Amino acid sequence: MSEKTLVKATTAEIINHWILAVSCILLIITGYGFVFKMEGIYALFGSNTTMKWVHNWTGVIFTFSLAGTLFNYLGEALDLSRDDWNWIKLGGGYLSKKHVQVPPMGKINTGQKLYYLAILAGGFGIAVSGLAIWLLPGMRTLIQVSHLVHNLAFVLFVVAVPAHIYLGTLANPGLLRIMIDGTVPLEVAKKRYPKWMKELGI
Amino acid sequence: MANTNENRKALLISPELCIGCRGCQTACKNWNQLSSEKTKNSGTYQNPPDLAPTAYNIIRYSEVPSESNPVRWLFVSRRCMHCGDAGCMKICPAPGALYKTKEGAVAADRDKCIGCKLCVAGCPFNVPRYDSSNKISKCTLCSDRIAEGLSPACAQTCPTGAIRFGDRNELLASAKKAGYSKVYGEADLTGLGTLYAFKDAPKIYGMDENPAIPESVIFWHNVLKPLSVIGLGGAVAGALLHYAVIGPHKDDEEVKKS
Ligand code: HEM
Ligand code: SF4
Ligand code: SF4
Ligand code: SF4
Repeated sequence: MSEKTLVKATTAEIINHWILAVSCILLIITGYGFVFKMEGIYALFGSNTTMKWVHNWTGVIFTFSLAGTLFNYLGEALDLSRDDWNWIKLGGGYLSKKHVQVPPMGKINTGQKLYYLAILAGGFGIAVSGLAIWLLPGMRTLIQVSHLVHNLAFVLFVVAVPAHIYLGTLANPGLLRIMIDGTVPLEVAKKRYPKWMKELGI
Repeated sequence: MANTNENRKALLISPELCIGCRGCQTACKNWNQLSSEKTKNSGTYQNPPDLAPTAYNIIRYSEVPSESNPVRWLFVSRRCMHCGDAGCMKICPAPGALYKTKEGAVAADRDKCIGCKLCVAGCPFNVPRYDSSNKISKCTLCSDRIAEGLSPACAQTCPTGAIRFGDRNELLASAKKAGYSKVYGEADLTGLGTLYAFKDAPKIYGMDENPAIPESVIFWHNVLKPLSVIGLGGAVAGALLHYAVIGPHKDDEEVKKS
């Protein structure tokens, strides 16, 4: 059976996504270890200093990976219109069991745009503040502000990431394959991304 | 907390009794095997100029003339305050790096310290310093000595009684009896383990009137920490609830049907 498919994500984009995802989750786990001084989490890495090392360098990987996403999603995410506002008012169609007709979407929908912008802003804040704590210790006021920013962004991440994982797996059967082989069945794409289809001339 | 006020130990510093001999500095270096650094004369007898990785205590020399005494020198012995509610411990991310001994001392375990230096930002008294391998280095109230019933080296050496060590309650009572109605550190931060009998306002001795853990650290501890658990729990519970009550999108199936 040969179903007609469309390529939605490039290999580079997929690889970068998984680098971002794995590094982000590792940072969240070690982050909880720090915030609550959880000996069990520290023990996973051997010694206390090893976990700090892992967290710091994973942060570097995460930062580069986040910078890489700029090419993939920033343009789309900033392209907001009246349709996006209406999408939000309908809760993206997630609020009822019945099928809800949402406004036509482009390559990524309003929720994904907002998620991306939140991850980008939070990621920028968490990266800059993390680097300050790491490399400029002893500057009391700067470190106090950085500690606050780092932890505010952490709260954003621990809410947004599980929601994103749910939406990318259980909530939308079939979506995950975009981040595995990069494809979408053509018929599904026509339904989900009418504006993008128009751009492509399909 | 492990220590009740009953068995909490403390140092009582009386600047007016201090003759500035710096025996305490030497005794501390001696007991804790701290090297001496070469310092420069900066126009004051205070030496070394500040707390350092190899100087857990210093005598601060300040000239503060008063009306009756134009050449008044104040010698204030400075070190870790062994706070009851310690900002360094609150912000420290490494389990076991900083801990309270049963005498109420705030001690450090070098092996567990990860060298992040957050304690510098959390301490209201600007005490923590770092050794060459980035490990916290500060006064431990001689926890190794006091656990064996000895006095801290600095108090042991002091020839005038300007640094006294003992039961915190007893030291407070004796300072009160000696006429100090207010003892610095009696109630701040649920009580400091380094108490000062000041004759004048604390700021004349170079001390903060109302020492407090930085607001940002308190906000983090009281709000952001719980929020990070509620947030994660809420997101996971919300997802499961959504799945159970509303269920997934069925774009694929709808496509197949149509
Ligand atoms: C391990 C669990 C994860 C799964 C299953 C997952 C799944 C997905 C899927 C299927 C997409 C494509 C959506 C589409 O193109 O329509 C996507 C996109 C994306 N993911 Fe993830 N992801 C995970 C973790 C993460 C983490 C931890 C982060 C980040 C910090 C992240 C950041 C992104 C971003 C920025 C996008 C592009 C915007 C969007 O489509 O929402 N992902 N993810
Ligand atoms: S004075 Fe600073 S280092 Fe000492 S216990 Fe208090 S907060 Fe910690
Ligand atoms: S430097 Fe060491 S003692 Fe200070 S906060 Fe970090 S782990 Fe704790
Ligand atoms: S109590 Fe011990 S470690 Fe602290 S200043 Fe005195 S001698 Fe040094």
